[in-house]
Amino acid sequence: MDFFVDYILEPGVKIGVIVLVLPLLVGYLVLMERKFIAFMQVRLGPMRVGPHGLLQPIADALKLMLKEDIVPRGADRLIFIMAPVVALVPAFIVLSVIPFGPSITVPVPEALAWPPQFVEREVPLFITDLNIGVLFILAVSSIGVLGIILAGWASNSKYPLLGALRSAAQMVSYEVALGFSIIGVLLLAGSLSLVDIVNAQAGDGHWFVLYQPVAFVIFWICGVAETNRAPFDLPEAESELVAGFHTEYSGFRWSLFFLAEYAAMIVVASLMVTLFFGGWLAPFGLTLLPQSLAGIEGAFWFSAKLLFFIYSYIWFRASWPRYRYDQLMSVGWKVLLPIAIANVVLTAILVLFLEG
Amino acid sequence: MKVVRADKLSLLKKIFFVDLIKGLLLTFGYQRPSRNYTEQYPKVRPKVAERYRGAPRLNNDPADGSTLCIACNLCALACPEYCIEVGWDRSDEGKKVLTTFTFDISRCMFCGLCEDACPTPCLELTQDFELALYGRRDMKWDRQKLEQGHQPVIYTR
Repeated sequence: MDFFVDYILEPGVKIGVIVLVLPLLVGYLVLMERKFIAFMQVRLGPMRVGPHGLLQPIADALKLMLKEDIVPRGADRLIFIMAPVVALVPAFIVLSVIPFGPSITVPVPEALAWPPQFVEREVPLFITDLNIGVLFILAVSSIGVLGIILAGWASNSKYPLLGALRSAAQMVSYEVALGFSIIGVLLLAGSLSLVDIVNAQAGDGHWFVLYQPVAFVIFWICGVAETNRAPFDLPEAESELVAGFHTEYSGFRWSLFFLAEYAAMIVVASLMVTLFFGGWLAPFGLTLLPQSLAGIEGAFWFSAKLLFFIYSYIWFRASWPRYRYDQLMSVGWKVLLPIAIANVVLTAILVLFLEG
Repeated sequence: MKVVRADKLSLLKKIFFVDLIKGLLLTFGYQRPSRNYTEQYPKVRPKVAERYRGAPRLNNDPADGSTLCIACNLCALACPEYCIEVGWDRSDEGKKVLTTFTFDISRCMFCGLCEDACPTPCLELTQDFELALYGRRDMKWDRQKLEQGHQPVIYTR
């Protein structure tokens, strides 16, 4: 029975919640993006479906599901169908190691008896605490690039192929600087587990953004570039090009790519919160709720920080013009990467001398 | 052309993203709802200018409902597009009495000369602007339609 609850029921429920909630969250993220970009452009955004357009994501999802599913005649059918799934799955898997909050206590039926006996059970607000969490995230999220390349190649068309090459080149080259910017944090925390990293930031003024401001800025920039968003969205620059690697995709398959992209946004933002802003920890030791509800409060602070970074993505998109492709590459390799390496070396020396 | 050289200050500006942050603050300020420019048109009707010239109307005497038109034909003569036709009869006292009035809004350019020529407060170009119709035949407005005034469909919130 314990085995069932520990290894099947509890993770199953959590995975179910994530798989169900994430698409909804992405839908409302899109609405949020449309709304805030509209406000910044002195418009109103979606207003018709529901009050202030609040039901717009549902209408959009219905529309996308009902659209015709087109596979181009020259396309490699199997890979064409597989590619969106390959892009989507890593984004979901990565969420399994991100700690959304500390533990909450939930009553769980003790045994298969009637009437059920309830037992208080500590349930941590993350699916699993891998001891190689950061490494796992970097490894798995790289598979997403594969989905993009497959999509571009399988479409058997020039624009998707070129778009896929550019997307892939951008994602791979920014991943390098991203990885180096994380190392600074890992040196301070002394662990690859995301839960340990959050716990290492407990206490007043111990958020790693204060110790690693340079790494944080590099991570922020690379995070935006990793998710192919403005001002680094040139592989799919909607005002200049056709859509990039998903040119030939339509309907539900296209929406899978869309889901993958926004899920990646959420992943990068939550990684940023976990690594640099103390995850679920409250700022300035603020505690709003009693100790018994610490889990809910942690989840609240985590989502508040997450929302800020997602808002920052939208804000960037509304404010800044797009990079040119050669500028993008030279910023990534010639500026961000050397600074990130220098930061790692400096941090390593300081850690060695101050703690050793 | 003057070449602007990069000095130390501009390097510092680059390092601390000064110009980028300026841009961010600008777009942040635009989010204030009072700055919003969108009109929710069919639900909220815009207020057109007081002297806007839109759909024509023949005004009736508010006291007894009889027409104010004296069938003087001045509007038809003033019209540069000849889109007004006035039909009249003689009454027993020899006075002109309006019988028909046709206003072709497909040819009308809303110059307002007819309105100016009218010696009574009868012919008026109102502030109604929704003049889209299904066919040309609907654009010849007869006396009844003109006296009734244009009645667009009003949508509400």
